[in-house]
Amino acid sequence: MDQIYAPDGPLAPPPITSAPSPPVLAGLRIGVLDNLKPNAKLLMQRAAEQIAARTGAKVALVTDKGPGYNSATPCSDPIFDKLDKEVDLVITGSAD
Amino acid sequence: MTQGYELLDVVDASPEAMYELFEERGWGDGLPLVPPTSARVDALLEGCGGDPDEVLAVLPPRFGKATRRMVAVNAALAGCKPDYMPVLIAATRALGEKKLNLRGVNATTHCVAPLLIVHGEIAERAGFNSGLGAFGPGNRANATTGRALRLILLHIAGAVPGPGDASTQGGPAKYSYCVAENTAASPWGSFHRSAGVDSASAITLHCGEAPHNFHDMESDHPSRILDKCASVMATLGQNNATIAQGEYFVALGPEHAATCASAGWSRRDVSSYLFQMARLPARVFRAQFDLRAWFPWMHGVADDELLPMTGEVDHIKVFVCGGAGKHSSVVPSWGMTSSVTLPIE
Repeated sequence: MDQIYAPDGPLAPPPITSAPSPPVLAGLRIGVLDNLKPNAKLLMQRAAEQIAARTGAKVALVTDKGPGYNSATPCSDPIFDKLDKEVDLVITGSAD
Repeated sequence: MTQGYELLDVVDASPEAMYELFEERGWGDGLPLVPPTSARVDALLEGCGGDPDEVLAVLPPRFGKATRRMVAVNAALAGCKPDYMPVLIAATRALGEKKLNLRGVNATTHCVAPLLIVHGEIAERAGFNSGLGAFGPGNRANATTGRALRLILLHIAGAVPGPGDASTQGGPAKYSYCVAENTAASPWGSFHRSAGVDSASAITLHCGEAPHNFHDMESDHPSRILDKCASVMATLGQNNATIAQGEYFVALGPEHAATCASAGWSRRDVSSYLFQMARLPARVFRAQFDLRAWFPWMHGVADDELLPMTGEVDHIKVFVCGGAGKHSSVVPSWGMTSSVTLPIE
């Protein structure tokens, strides 16, 4: 009998965890964070509007990540703070 | 489980059985692997120094802990010798540097792969190929060290095509991508010292495309050679095209480098010339791309003015690599990443 190592090894704790999804959207404020991928804003804003129409939420903020930021970077701190203050949930992350 | 490491009991450690086991588990790069037994891993760790379980980097998207031991496990799988371990340890640390943006490198649909460049004394001592065919097959150090780095990405980082690596087409550089700098043939000394790393040996990680060749068989002046390099750089299909932070690594063949140096050109002169010559009219970029990750000053340039392919001279990095012949190459980056040069301890 031989022993070999599994090649993947132990995990570190994730640096961030997602907040739990709100059970009811009525009355909540939806934010759209455009990651600047082609058509991302169009796709996500339409999705936000449809969700708002169906649930009684409202689209409160549509923004990009800030000057000089793009799809491969986190958003700027001022934009993050603005989202934190002004909306209850955020739609983001359209890919190519 | 021991300290988070999983040891598997295997009845049959034959190459065929290992190949089957790894395929069943979704591990490996598709090629046969050397079983990472405790004896092999211990042998690789023996000359490393340091705590085998020290976390060198946490690698996304899986957030696996890259310790010396796990680096050794993947080095064993790839067929590395102990002499290569210092290179892999430094390269693993480089993967964890924020400016390299490994999460983006693994998440993108682009074909990017980290190019590992080995500098200084260790390249010769451990037998890395910096000469003829350096980017190609036939040398154990280059092949297995580059492969081990990819296995680290596949296993520890979880950069498995699909769930952890979104590359549309992948690329051959994702199997193994390691060369050594030909310092002996470099008229400008070692690259790492010019990058401010004062050590006998070092590594650079540059996350880029596979090498784009350029050749010039006849010129005896740098400008005609480097004009061809500039024309390779000034293409619209590469990811760097409208990303001002994008870098280019120019791997000059020794003969091209000698022509530049004999005309009195420094490494910096080569970069400056390429910054001036690798340009396109601003209107071309504007016509071709809606999304332009330019520096602010670039947005104000008039349509008929020429814009450089990158935002700064220092984004064009020059090192010497290869053997006899009149070929050189350019490795454009993925764009949203910056290279890392670290000493080998």
